[in-house]
Amino acid sequence: MKVTWPHLGHSDIVLKSLFRDLGVDMVIAPPNNKHSLTLGVKHSPEFVCLPFKLTLGNMIEGLELGGDTIIMAAGSGLCRFGYYAKVQERILRDLGYEFDMVTTALFESKIVGVARLVKRLSGGAPLSKVIAAIRLGLAKLSAMDDIERAVHRVRAIEINKGIATKLFQEAINAIDYASDMSGLKKAKMDYIAQLNDVAVDTKIDPLKVGVMGEFYVVLEPFANMDVEIELGKLGVEVKRSLFVSHWTKFSLFLNAFGVTEKEKTHRAAMPYLKRDVGGDGWESVGEVVLHAHSYNGLVHLSPFTCMPEIIAQNIMPSIKADIPVLTLISDEQMGRAGMLTRLEAFVDLLHRRRSASLAGALG
Amino acid sequence: MDVCLGIDVGSVTTKFAVLDEKSDLVTSLYWRTSGKPITMIQEGLKEVEQRLPLNANILGVGTTGSARYLAGVMVGADVIKNEITAHAIGALHYVPDVQTVMEIGGQDSKIILLRNGVVVDFAMNTVCAAGTGSFLDQQAARLGMKIEEFGQQALQSETPVRIAGRCTVFAESDMIHKQQMGHRVEDILYGLCEALVRNYLNNIALGKEITPPIVFQGGVAFNQGIIRAFEETLKSQVIVTPHHEVLGAIGAALLAQEEIKTKKEKSKFKGFEVTQLDYRTSSFECKACANICEIAQIFSDGRVIARWGGRCDMWERTSQPERM
Repeated sequence: MKVTWPHLGHSDIVLKSLFRDLGVDMVIAPPNNKHSLTLGVKHSPEFVCLPFKLTLGNMIEGLELGGDTIIMAAGSGLCRFGYYAKVQERILRDLGYEFDMVTTALFESKIVGVARLVKRLSGGAPLSKVIAAIRLGLAKLSAMDDIERAVHRVRAIEINKGIATKLFQEAINAIDYASDMSGLKKAKMDYIAQLNDVAVDTKIDPLKVGVMGEFYVVLEPFANMDVEIELGKLGVEVKRSLFVSHWTKFSLFLNAFGVTEKEKTHRAAMPYLKRDVGGDGWESVGEVVLHAHSYNGLVHLSPFTCMPEIIAQNIMPSIKADIPVLTLISDEQMGRAGMLTRLEAFVDLLHRRRSASLAGALG
Repeated sequence: MDVCLGIDVGSVTTKFAVLDEKSDLVTSLYWRTSGKPITMIQEGLKEVEQRLPLNANILGVGTTGSARYLAGVMVGADVIKNEITAHAIGALHYVPDVQTVMEIGGQDSKIILLRNGVVVDFAMNTVCAAGTGSFLDQQAARLGMKIEEFGQQALQSETPVRIAGRCTVFAESDMIHKQQMGHRVEDILYGLCEALVRNYLNNIALGKEITPPIVFQGGVAFNQGIIRAFEETLKSQVIVTPHHEVLGAIGAALLAQEEIKTKKEKSKFKGFEVTQLDYRTSSFECKACANICEIAQIFSDGRVIARWGGRCDMWERTSQPERM
């Protein structure tokens, strides 16, 4: 058996770690690129969203490289995502591929379900070993997210542009390489220290821009055309509340943790939207309300034809909060130049707004 | 005479504007890009040089529009600015208390909201270019008329017909259908104007607070039919400023003026000699990683002066030492 899976940002590292520890063979499809997009688009319905197309592309590439078991998330939420695994399985079978599709509904099955699934895939490894492997995988996720937060801060004010991004890539490799908790801890400390040592211009007070919206396009840099790196190049500090580690904790351990970050966003959204509308629509509305005073602006990312985000986008203008929101919609037709123009103009707007309000406050 | 130059290279047209010390327009050009941005930039510069008095001294240059980086490295720009900011600055120059800027260009349309002279919100078409200048161009050509006559014809309409305007292909089928049913051309044209305005207000301007003074600019503001349709729908006066078609270039020139004043440095302008240089472009696929980016490079007399298009800055960096 050779497992393969579609990508989601750098969360690959977790599955890689897990299966390596348990001795499961795996095939890793190349990171999202033009080819995977072309493959995905070719075999997908036109108006399905970008996450469907890209993940399908990854699956085809994984199968072509010898994978025979696909792992895909599923769910029973309100957005179409819930049945993507099923539809993709059909498309792939129609294309003549032979494989097993293993789906896991993280949110519904919680940690117990995931542990059971991993145990099955590993051919019956002892539970203690499975738990240790999952623990290391989740720790890696947290470590990457901690480093990414530091990257966001440094990227905006580093003197030589590009160093933070380079260190981030190296850090991911080092975390991938770590084989136990102590090695992981060392790698994390090492890169946090290196990031703290990057030469920065402390005189700059960078604009703070929140990046939020639909889960996949927020977390997969290829799908959002590296929006965070581009904002960093424009001297903006990216603030993001959506991290894979948060989400995993929320999905897997919800009951144990009580009030979560997510519930806070839901409460904030209440005056405008009182219920879940699928995907991350409810959270997107909540984020605008929550961050109106702490951030200078928000970039709202949404895949084309995403129902939950369309709902959120249409509610946003009515939110009584004085914060500019730029909605960027991505699909295979979106051009990089168009996105850069919008980002540049948005950052200009935020700068001029801030200086005008400063001038106003002074007299 | 000290002047500042603004260049706006858009998808369909290339605009030049020269402003004097008092920020008054000295001369301007409005030409079709015809898919040849490099040639048009060079030809335009030649024309500008000829129109300027001999004692004219270029203090600063600003570029904007979709080819702003290309234009910027070719001529040596002091400011390279996105077209949203440039248009807002241009509109403020003529209507200082402007609150809403509606701009419809060749392939994109935008709305910019300003309060107290500061941009507070904007939107630009994202997934669809229905209702922009290129489509009007096409329809004028199909009906065998010059785009310049389109607006006047549309104004003759007495009973406009309703045209489906969401998708340009369906709009065209609907227009053909209405023609076949025997509706008059001017009624169809004005119906199309109304459809475009409806489309603009429902998509780009969705949820935005449109308050007067409203300035309408960009190439499509030449079209009297669209102006009337906007005024009827918004129930408010729509101002079309002088030189509205080159407002982006004027904005770029004003930004260059500001930049030179604050930085107190000499302009990076390479001089009118750049019209004599031989520029060439080529592209290749970078194989350094799985992203396989398309890198475009521009040569001036055989030397690479800039590269772009990658997801990382590997190629942009290699071009740096030769850039300025």
